[in-house]
Amino acid sequence: MRKSFIKNNINIDEFEALIKLTVEMSKYLYPYIREILQSRENIDQNPNIWGDFKKRFLELIYERFNINSMKVKKILNPNNNDEILINSLLTLALCNSNRGFQKLRNTLLKI
Amino acid sequence: MLQNKLSFNQTAVSLEVIGLPDYSNNEKSDQISIISSWKLSIIDKPLIEGNFDHLSLIMTAFYSYTDYLINNQAGIYESKLIDIKAENSFTHIVLLKSSKPDVEPLTLKIGNSILSDIVNCFEQFNSSNKVRKVNINFSRTNQRKNYFDLTKKGKLFGVIMPPIISLFSLFIASSTLIYFYNMEEDKKNKALINTEIMRNSMKSIKTVL
Repeated sequence: MRKSFIKNNINIDEFEALIKLTVEMSKYLYPYIREILQSRENIDQNPNIWGDFKKRFLELIYERFNINSMKVKKILNPNNNDEILINSLLTLALCNSNRGFQKLRNTLLKI
Repeated sequence: MLQNKLSFNQTAVSLEVIGLPDYSNNEKSDQISIISSWKLSIIDKPLIEGNFDHLSLIMTAFYSYTDYLINNQAGIYESKLIDIKAENSFTHIVLLKSSKPDVEPLTLKIGNSILSDIVNCFEQFNSSNKVRKVNINFSRTNQRKNYFDLTKKGKLFGVIMPPIISLFSLFIASSTLIYFYNMEEDKKNKALINTEIMRNSMKSIKTVL
């Protein structure tokens, strides 16, 4: 999915290290993640935070991902990308605990 | 005897646990091993309270339901005390059924932000050294079955194999009958039947004439 000419395969240690990093980041960023989720819930009252997040997220996707890939096209599709973004943010919000590493690891292995 | 009180807070949600230490286990005076009551306060929502068994059931419900959400499954959790289902991708409906008679069930509509606050409060409670751990029983989960989801290899195998096995067994059973079937005898029988038919038809023509 990434814009790269080399196929990088990560080993299990690197995979687990990345999950640990993500869980620790989500602990630190929980207030922001929660704010973005709340903005999407009250989109009529407070649309700015959700709008800014979505704009920046899509900018990064265009910049760093292979936009010819079908999976990336699905993320960029404006009709259903809200649900993908909400699910991703909710997963991060629910994984910021001591059990978070195991939860996120199991989820990623099931994909 | 004065009871201990511990609070676990996460943004808009607060969980308060009241109870006593187990002195027979040489526990410190600030610990809570015998939970007598608990209160879950959510901003702008009614107060939820109950005893230790209720807390265990509610924690099981929230943990199971959020596990479905994380695994991208259309989850619905149902139990005697609490039902949780998704209204859409950012709203969840929690139905709390009181154990007391003549008390109407309470319906709460919560968003993803409140849901994550509640789960984080429970996580703080479960990881605290000062309170007794609550056993989460995941066997109570009640997942909505999706019979047409053939994406998993096991499910596809389960759907295709039974008709193939039944067709194969029918084929084997019918092929054994070939040994009992005599082609020559069948031809003779057919010829006899034909001559009988001819004879009878000639007779009937004669009687008509």
